[in-house]
Amino acid sequence: MIGVPWAKESKQYAVLRSNALNFASAELAPVADDLENTVDSPLLWKAVEKAGEMGMLAALVPEQLGGEGVDLYSLCVALEESAVECAGFAAALLFHNAALVPLVYVDRKDLVEEFAKGRPLCTVATAGEVALEDGKLNGSAPFVFNVLEGTVALLFPGSGEGRKAAYVRAGTSGVEAKVDPYPLGWRVSNFATLEMKGAEPVFVLDKSEREAVTATERTLYLGLAAIANGIVRKAFQKAYDYARQRYQAGKLIIEHQAMRLMLARMLCSMEEGRAIIRRACGVEDLGPAIIAWRRAGANACQAAMDGVQIHGGYGYMRDYGMERLMRDAKYCQMFPRPEEEQLLRLLDMAEEGG
Amino acid sequence: MLGQELSETGKRLFRDYPILRMLWESGRKKGLRETIALIEKAEEFNRTFAVPRALELDMRMEREPEYFDWEIMRQACKYRFLSIFIPKQLGGIAGEFMVTNTSLLMDELCSGCSGIALAVGAHSLGVAPVITSGAMAHWDTVLREIVEGELKQQPVTMAYAITEPSAGTDVEEPEYLEKAKLSLEAKKVKGGYVLNGRKCFISDGSEAKYFTVCAALDRNRPLQTWTTFLVERGMEGFSTPRVELKMGQRASHAAELLFEDVFVPESHCLGYEGDGMGNGILMIMAASRGPVGSIATGIARGAFQHFLAWAKSKRNGKRPIEEDRIRMALADMWGMIQENRGLYMSNAMLGDCIFGKALDNPVMNLTLSLPPSLRTNKPMRTFLNSYYGKAMINYILRFYIKDEDMTQLLETASLAKFSCADNAMELCSRALSLMGPEDSEERRWVEKCYRDAKLTQIYEGTNQLNRLVVNNVRFEETLRVEVPRPFKKGVMA
Repeated sequence: MIGVPWAKESKQYAVLRSNALNFASAELAPVADDLENTVDSPLLWKAVEKAGEMGMLAALVPEQLGGEGVDLYSLCVALEESAVECAGFAAALLFHNAALVPLVYVDRKDLVEEFAKGRPLCTVATAGEVALEDGKLNGSAPFVFNVLEGTVALLFPGSGEGRKAAYVRAGTSGVEAKVDPYPLGWRVSNFATLEMKGAEPVFVLDKSEREAVTATERTLYLGLAAIANGIVRKAFQKAYDYARQRYQAGKLIIEHQAMRLMLARMLCSMEEGRAIIRRACGVEDLGPAIIAWRRAGANACQAAMDGVQIHGGYGYMRDYGMERLMRDAKYCQMFPRPEEEQLLRLLDMAEEGG
Repeated sequence: MLGQELSETGKRLFRDYPILRMLWESGRKKGLRETIALIEKAEEFNRTFAVPRALELDMRMEREPEYFDWEIMRQACKYRFLSIFIPKQLGGIAGEFMVTNTSLLMDELCSGCSGIALAVGAHSLGVAPVITSGAMAHWDTVLREIVEGELKQQPVTMAYAITEPSAGTDVEEPEYLEKAKLSLEAKKVKGGYVLNGRKCFISDGSEAKYFTVCAALDRNRPLQTWTTFLVERGMEGFSTPRVELKMGQRASHAAELLFEDVFVPESHCLGYEGDGMGNGILMIMAASRGPVGSIATGIARGAFQHFLAWAKSKRNGKRPIEEDRIRMALADMWGMIQENRGLYMSNAMLGDCIFGKALDNPVMNLTLSLPPSLRTNKPMRTFLNSYYGKAMINYILRFYIKDEDMTQLLETASLAKFSCADNAMELCSRALSLMGPEDSEERRWVEKCYRDAKLTQIYEGTNQLNRLVVNNVRFEETLRVEVPRPFKKGVMA
C-alpha cells in the first residue's frame, strides 16, 4: 500500500498515527456505513467510548484540568487517521474537542469534567447570528452537528472581534433544535439548527474571550484540514486498489495515463495536506490554519470526485463506499464558514499585521 | 410582432436560445410551435408535480431504494413524454425537431428534478434502437403499445441495456469492445438465441416492460458479433434482481438485469447480427450524449435558480447579492449555462438535420401511412423480419444518413456531454461553497443538484472516454461512424 511516502514525522507522531489508524481500522471501518444511516446508535457510542480510551475526548485540555494535554498536531493526526475510515465520526470528535478549548482559558476543571464525558458529544456552532443580551441568548445557529438531547453547544454570540464564547444545552428552556434529517455529509449524528429564544447559557466565558474564540477557530480549521486529508487518503487508496484490478480497453485502469494523472494529483494532495497542516500547527496564528483548511478542503473535494470517476458507475453507488467521500469532502469545504469570506478575512488579517 | 404570437415560455426560449428565434423568423414556425408547447408542458410538469415532491422522493429513495413512484410515469403519460422519439405516423409526438425537442425537454425537466427526468428520459433511450434498427415489425406492436398505454395513462416503458459488470466504457466504443470483458452472451439456437449473463446499472431497468439489450454472439469476437435484441419482461429466465442506491438521480432506478437461459426469438433481433455497434450504440450515443449534456445543463440551471433565490434573499439583515463576489459568481454561472446550451444545441440541431429526413421523407411517409393491419399481418411480419425486409426498411431509413454526418454528430455529442457535465459539477460545487453553512431550503436543493450532477460525468460513456472520442474523430481521424448499409458487402450479411 502506498501511504504518504515523503511526509516524515517524529517517532512520537508516527506512533500516535499508527495507534489512531489501528483504532480507525478496528472500530470505525466495520461500522462506517451503518453510522451513516443512523443517529444516536449504539455503534456510535461504542466507537466514542473507544475514542475516549485513546484520550480523544479531551485531547487538547491540559492534564491538570482532566484532559490529555496533547498538542494540536497530535489531535490532527488522530482526526486524519479516523477520517480515513469515517469522516463523519472524525468531524464529531473534532467538534467535541473544539468545544472544550475555551474552558482551558478559564481553568474550569468542573466544566471539563461535565462536558467531556462523551455522551452526548459537545459541539460548536459557528454560523448564523446569535446575540447575548442581559445574560440571555437569542438567535439562530445553523449547521450544528452532534445535536442530541442534552448536547452542550459552544456558541460565539456577537460579531467580529467582539465575539464571546457561551455554552448552551440542547433541550433546555429556550433552546430548540430543528433537526435536518438529510444532510449531504458527516452523517453520524443529528445535524440541526439551534434556535435560541431567551435561552439561559450554561456558562459564559468571562475573560480571554478573544483568545478562546481564536483558539477554537484554529482548532476547527486545522481539524477540518486533517479530516479533509484523511478523505484524500481514503479516496487515493480505494481508487488505486480499484485501478489495479479493473480492466478497461484491454489493460488495467492503472495503466491508463489519464487515470495515473488523477492518482498522482491525489498523491500530491496528501503530501501537500500533511505539509500545510504541520506548518500551520507550528504557529499560533489563525491565518495559516485557514490557509491549510482552504487548500485541504479543495483537495479533498477534487480527490473524492476523481475517486468516484475512476470507479465509474460503481463509484456512484452507495454500496461501494466512494460516494460517501464525495459528500463528506464537500462539508469540509463548506464548514465552518464560506470559503471566500475567509479568504477576504485573510487579507484583512495580513493588513492588520497577521 | 414576436410578442403577440408568443407565450411567455416562447419568449423565454427565444431569449435563452436566440438561434430558435432565428429559425422562427426564417419560417420554421410550425415545428417551433411544437417545441414551445412541449416546454410549456415540461414547465407545468415541474411546477405541479416534480418540484413539489423531488426532495421528499429523493429522501425516501435513500431509505427504500427499491421503491418506484409510478406516478412519475403516469404524469409523463399525461404530457406524452413517453413518445417523444416515436414518429407521429405511429401515434407518437416526434416532430420536425425531435432531437432538439428532446434536449430542451430534458434540460427543462432536469431543472426540476433530474431523477424524475431520468426515469422519463431513459425510457426513450430504450425506444431509440427499435427505430434506428429499422425493426418495423415491432413498430406496430411495441411502439404502438407504448402510445396506447400513454393515452390510457397506463405506462408501458422501455430501457436500454448496454453496461455490464466488468465493462462500462468498453462496450461504448468499437476500439474497446474488442478487448472488453463481457458477461452477457447470446448463443444462436434454432429459431432464435439464448442469453446468459448480466447487465448492470440499467436506468429504468426494474420498471421497463421491454428492453433493448446489446450482447455478443461470441465473446471472443464481440465487435463482429455485437447484436441488439428486444427482450420482454416475463420471458423465462429473465429477472431484475437488484436495484442500486445511487448518490443522486435517485427517482430513477439503476437495476441489474439477470439472464438465465433466456430464449429470444429470431424476430427479436433488432437489425442484424453483428451490427450492434454501428447500428445500435454509435448511432444511439451520437443522439443521446447531447441530451446528457442537456441533463447536466438542467441540473446546473436548477442549482443556479436556487442559488439566485438564496443570493436575493435576506440573510442576517443583508442580501448576499449585494456583495461583488456573489454578483461575479452569478455571472460566471450564467456563462456556464449559456456555454452548455450552445454546445448541446449545436449537437441537437445537427441531429435534426440528419434524422429529420430519415423519418420524414416521401417513401417513409408512404410506408408509415399504410394501415397498420397491412404491416402486422403474418406474411408481412415474416417479410419485415427477414433479411430483405429489414434491408428494405433500413435502406429507406438510412438513405439520407451520411457516415460523415453521423461522425460529426458523435463528435458534437461527446463534446457537449463532457463539457456540460463538467460545467454542471463546477457550478453546483461553487454554489455550495459560496452558500457555506446555511440552514435553507436552497442549500438542500443545491446539495441535491451536486449529487445529481456527478452522474452526468459518468453515464453515457465517462467524460474521459468522450474526450478521447472528440480527439479520435477530430484530430486523429481514427474514429468514424460507419452506418451499416443494406446490400453493402460484409456489413449486414
